Parts: sequence; structure tokens; C-alpha cells
Amino acid sequence: MNSKVVNNSNPEAETKTGGLGDMVKRLFKSEKIGLILALILIIIVFSALTGNKYFTADNIINILISSSIVGVVVIGECYLLITGHVDLSPGSVAAFSGVLMALLLNKGVPLFLAMAIVIIFGLVIGFINATLVNKLKLEAFIATLATMSIFRGLAYIICDGKSVFVTNKLFLKLGAGRILGMPIPVIIFLALFIVFAVVLSNTRFGRNVYMVGGNAVAARLAGINAQKLRTKLYMMTSAFAALGGCLMAARMSSGQPTSSTGLEFDAVTAVVLGGVAMAGGVGTLGGALIGLLIMQGFNNGLMMLNIPSFWQTVSRGLLLVAALSFDYLRNLKRK
Amino acid sequence: MSSVVEFKEITKAFPGVLALDKISFKAKSGEVTALVGENGAGKSTLLKVLNGDYQSDGGQYLIDGEVKHFKEPQEAIASGVSIIYQERQIVPYLSVAENIYMEKIPIGPSHLIDYKKLNKMTQDIIDEFKLPFKATTRVKNLSVAYQQMVEIMKAYRRNPKVIAFDEPTASLSDAEITTLFEIIESLKKKGIIILYVSHRMKEIFQITDEVVILKDGKLVEQLHTADTNEMEIVHKMVGRDLGDIFLSLDRNKEIGKIVLESRNLVAENVKDVSFQLHAGEVLGFAGLVGAGRTESMRVIFGADKHKSGDIYIEGIKTNITFPEDAIRNGIALCAEDRKDQGIFARSSVKHNISVAVLRSLVRNGFIDRKKEKTLAEEGVVQLKVRTPSIEKPIGELSGGNQQKVILARWLAAHPKVLILDEPTKGIDVGSKSEIYQIICDLAKQGIGIIMVSSELPEILGVCDRIIVMCQGRITGTLTREEATDKKVLVLAMADMLGGDKE
Repeated sequence: MNSKVVNNSNPEAETKTGGLGDMVKRLFKSEKIGLILALILIIIVFSALTGNKYFTADNIINILISSSIVGVVVIGECYLLITGHVDLSPGSVAAFSGVLMALLLNKGVPLFLAMAIVIIFGLVIGFINATLVNKLKLEAFIATLATMSIFRGLAYIICDGKSVFVTNKLFLKLGAGRILGMPIPVIIFLALFIVFAVVLSNTRFGRNVYMVGGNAVAARLAGINAQKLRTKLYMMTSAFAALGGCLMAARMSSGQPTSSTGLEFDAVTAVVLGGVAMAGGVGTLGGALIGLLIMQGFNNGLMMLNIPSFWQTVSRGLLLVAALSFDYLRNLKRK
Repeated sequence: MSSVVEFKEITKAFPGVLALDKISFKAKSGEVTALVGENGAGKSTLLKVLNGDYQSDGGQYLIDGEVKHFKEPQEAIASGVSIIYQERQIVPYLSVAENIYMEKIPIGPSHLIDYKKLNKMTQDIIDEFKLPFKATTRVKNLSVAYQQMVEIMKAYRRNPKVIAFDEPTASLSDAEITTLFEIIESLKKKGIIILYVSHRMKEIFQITDEVVILKDGKLVEQLHTADTNEMEIVHKMVGRDLGDIFLSLDRNKEIGKIVLESRNLVAENVKDVSFQLHAGEVLGFAGLVGAGRTESMRVIFGADKHKSGDIYIEGIKTNITFPEDAIRNGIALCAEDRKDQGIFARSSVKHNISVAVLRSLVRNGFIDRKKEKTLAEEGVVQLKVRTPSIEKPIGELSGGNQQKVILARWLAAHPKVLILDEPTKGIDVGSKSEIYQIICDLAKQGIGIIMVSSELPEILGVCDRIIVMCQGRITGTLTREEATDKKVLVLAMADMLGGDKE
């Protein structure tokens, strides 16, 4: 109430965009500057510690490979978190899907049909999550905690708790093959990422995600069907998890019911690291990608330094605390 | 013992604005001192300086002659300064007693909470205030007004010297306000200094003894309430008075065909509601809180379901089950609660304007950003929204400007029917008059306008026709010429006067 604001009936001030200097200025003002600096810092520090073996084409591809499966789930979680929701089931859905995929292939179902079936299963699971949230009015956290448990259990049940090995060559290629030197999972991830980043920032669907996250009641009164939107997002997230599960199975040449444990937490960590508020309404997919690269880049660096993998888990937590503290301090200063 | 709080040349600056400019005045015990002024005049800022939420940049305040300088609200509370805010600061799932003694819960010898003592102490206060609930009642089960009483008791329990009320009646019904005023009166008699911030003139004359008028961070004048009148205060607040505002409105004179008709609408707290709205007409809905006006509007807009009855738009029966149906058919609703149901606080002014018409801005699947920007800029200019940029988050604008942005949102949808539910609630007098003129301008464009309002002067001053509701029913319709406060009130209280049979 205390700001005496100036009437800006003069739109000139607004139209002065474009130009490189302006872009740099906007970048520095942008929310992402801290993230980008953190990423650069990680690159510099690890490059120094590893004798310049860190920032090489090969290792960057390594980081991208390790990012690709969780990255696919990051897309879904990012959308959901912006609406103020969250899905805890992707890890289980991925494991279930991987096993299901392996079983179908071993039964002689053609690859693309098997893939379609698994993705459709994913969509159905997402629909169940959405129904629990929309109709039974369960908290997203609780509803997806339940499906997380259900599908982890079902993943064990359908394969009797044993890994299901796959010999389908085309399928294995999906996990290990490369096109123009780029691993296929990375291509799939980056393609999906670009499409969904554009959708989020440039379409009505994407805008409505922000509006529902910002104020669901107002969104409804502005004619946005928030329930329908949420249903789409849950279906999308589970379908991505199913796809991630298939990619994982292809890379490990088997469907394993124990796989992808904690996948959802990695994805949520990356999204939050990337500046998406748990309360909803703000954040971008680009930010989430940088969050993901920071997380995976950091882990990769520790690995190159032969630091035991247990420390990676610790570091992920520390990274999150550091990122959020940075954010807090920055907001404090702005206030 | 009489006590006094004195402000001496208090100054507080925010980036780009001097929120308080050498404010000096005294408030004495045994009196209620009103702080009045438009939004942005500095009332709430002054309270926040007093309770340590803000630090002043100059000047000082004294309590009983002693210079104080609170660094945070806790310190102020400990020294006897409490503020009762419009938003409740209570814990809903705890009992009245636990809320009142929050930080001073008595502990028994076994290190457990001494509930017997706690409830006894609380009951004593409740009895002192003559309130009808118990110490053990869960606060969430109390009405909004009683929740506020709990807060007042919490402040009172701390033996305060000063209690400041910031817009305390904003969400209270008339009966509840009466109870609140009785309590304030008794606090006054107990020798507590009362500061009272309100937009509502009527209240100022009901309970205050002194009026301090602020404008743009400066003190205009301090008056004895008994020696002044509403006209004078409003005039000093804004430099013009309210009656003139209504007289000078440039009203629409050409009423057109029927655009909206409700036939026998029945829903929760909506009983057999039938009415017609014409193009270019401003139709007022008056009534007491809970009369079913908001509920009727929400049903027409598809926000709530109806059990029976039909809605006709331009003579055609139209099925409306969701807000999107209403919007598609040319109905727009500015909801009553701007903060919870209207604005997307963290989104830009631009996105707040375009949200309801995004569909029309999509080209080849993508939002046409140029078109969106033009739309937002036009809205800002047309409604004279004061904002440094259309990229500014709407949450950072004043209430009046937020309301104008929401109007711009709905105008972008080119509605045939515009429903405004309490359009000037919590808005300063200056913005109010602008909004009244906007309403008249829209009527001139042939939009049928429904204005639901609990403020009789604006209903009488702006509307062409007034429908009065009581307990879910329409109890009467008055034309502009025949309407008076008294006639409206008689219809609004039809049930209490025994005219209405259930």
C-alpha cells in the first residue's frame, strides 16, 4: 500500500526489448542467474580437481546420460510442482513399467506395441492418481504415496521378484545405441524437454498451469478447468515415468523390480533446485534443467574423484540446502 | 491512571515514497482515536512503526512520556502495545484458552500443562467480556467475530496500554460489529488507549472520540469526532466529498433489451430467485450479509450448482454448469474476495488481464505475445491502472488498482453481463469514485451490470434499479427514484419484521 506508483500510460518503456546488451541485462536480473553461476562454479572446480578431464565432450555426454532418465520425470514433476502438486509414484511406476516391458517383449509382443501398452498403462496410473486427488480430495502427497507403494508391490508381483532379462536387440539399442554420437536416451530426453519447455512457456495449456498454481480458485472463476488440467498433468507425469522405466530397462537389458527407487525424489530435488516453488505458481522448465545438470554434474564430479557413492546422496542434500539458502538470502536482500 | 501515547514527527520512507512525513499527535486513554485516510495515506504504516514491525527513519514515539523504540513486534507486545489485524492470528485447532495464553501457558508442578488453572484464568476473562463461549471451545468452531474477540482477549490478557485495531470490521456482520463495539467501549473504560483504523465512516461516528486524518503520509488535521461530520472528514481525506461523487457521475440514460433473465433459480441459500437485467442497466443487489446475493451470482456464473430454475441470455435458455460456460456466453463475474478469488498475486498485471481470454489470443497453438501485450496495455490505459509496468506482479499494486486490473480482465472478454460482487470493498475513496465512473461508462457501452454491495450509499448512488434480498429470497425491487435507505433496509430485514412467511 505504500508505493506511490507512476502511471505508465506510455508503453514506450515496455517496448524497448531486444539487443544483446538487453539480453545480458535480463539474464542477470533473471531468477536463474544464481543457478547458472553455480553450474559454472561446479565446472571450474571439478575441471581443476580432475586435471581438465571434467569438461570434455565424453564426460558431458556421461552427465547427460545419467540425467536423461530422471530428466524425463523432471519434466512431469516440474509441471506438477508449478500447479502446487507433486507425484511420488514415478519411481515405482518406472520399475513396474520396466518389468512389464521386459515381460511383454519376452512374450513376443513387437517392440512398438509393447511400448504403446506400457505408456498406456502409465497414462492409466496417472489417471488414477488424478482421480484420487480430484474426486476423493486426497492430498497429492498422500494419494501418490499410496500409488507409489501399490506399483512397487505390483512390480515385484508380476515378475515374482526376479529380474526379467531382455534379448530384443532393437530394445537394447534404445538404451545403448547412439545416433551421430549422441546416446538415444539423451536424444529422447532433450527432444521431449524442448517440446515441453516450449509448451509450458508459449501455450494456453502452459499458462494455465501457472494460473492454477498461482490461485486455483481464481483460475476456476476465470474459466480454467483446474481438475481437468491436473488430470492431464498426472497422466503426463506417469507416462513419462513409464517411458523412463523402459529406457532404464533397455540400459540394464532387464526389467528389475528394485530399480528406480527414489527416482521421484531425485526429480523433485532437481526441480526445486531449479527454482520451482513447492507452493506453486512460479518456476520454469529451463530452471529445472539447470537444477538437474547441477545435481548430476556434481555427482559425476564426485565420482571422477573416486569419492564413495554414499557421499553422493549426502551431497545431494547439502546441495539442496545450499541452493535454497542462497534463494532465501537473495529474497531477503530484495525485501 | 490516565496514560497517553504520543507520536513526534514520525517519518518513514520507502524506496520512492515518503510513507509518513513528520506525523505528530497524541492519543489518550479513555478515548478511541480514529486514524482515517485513503489507501496509501499511511495509517497501517504508522501502526507498524508503533509496534516495531517497521523502524521509523525519523521522529520518536512516547508512551506515558517515555521514549520507546521497539525493534520487533514481540518487544512491543511485552511493553503493552498490541495490534488486532483484519486477518486473524489464531491457531484454529487449539482451544480459546490455549490461544489466549499461547506464550504463557501455566505449567503445573509435574511439568505438564495445568489445564485447570489455564481454563479458569481464561473463563474469568471470557466472563469479564460477557461472551457466550467456553475456555475449552476450539477456536475453529467460533464465528469470525468471536475469533476476533479471542484475539482481543489475548491482547487484553497481556495488560496492554495500547490496542490498535486495523480494519477490524471488514469481515463482520452488523450484529457482530455491535458486539465488537461493546467490547471496544469496555476496553476504553478500562483505561486502554485505543487506536482505530477504518474506512467505514459510520463506525468512526459510532465509537471514536478523536479523528486523525492522514493524506499521502501527512497529518491533515486532528478533530474531535463530536465536532465534525462525515462530509468534512471525507473532504479532508480526499479533497472532495462522497455526495458530489455520485452527483457528478456521468450515467447511462439508454436502457436496452433484456440481456439476462433468471427464472425461479433455486440453490443453497437461493430461493426462487427471478429477475431481469437490461442492456446498459446498472442493477443493484442490496441486502444484509448472508442474504443470498453472492450465492445467486455464483450460480448464474456457474461457480456453484443450482437445483432448479433457468437462465436466459438474450432470451435464449442457456445451460451454465461451469464458469467457462458463463464466460463463453458473455457473463463475467468479479468475485467478492479479491485476494482469494480474483488475483494471481505473483503473476504480472499482463497475465492477470489475459487469463480469461487466452483462448482468443492463441495462434497456431501458441499464445500471440504481441496481441497479449497490446490487450494488457489497452486495459491498463482504459481503466487508468496505476502501475509502473504491465510486467509488475499484481500483488504489489494497491487494492484499487488490483480491482481495476480485474475489471480489465473481464472487459477483455467483451461481456454482455458484468457481475460485480462488492466491487469497492477495501478500496479507498479516490479509487472508489473512479470505479463508479467506470461502471457508468460500461453501462453506456450497453453492458448489463449487476452490482452486489453492502454499502447502501453506493447502491443508491450508482444503480438504476435495486433488488433487495433477504434469506435467499428477493423481497422487493425499487427504482432509483423511489429507493431510500429506509425502504431498502425494511426489505432487507423483511424476515425480522415479520412480513415474510417461510
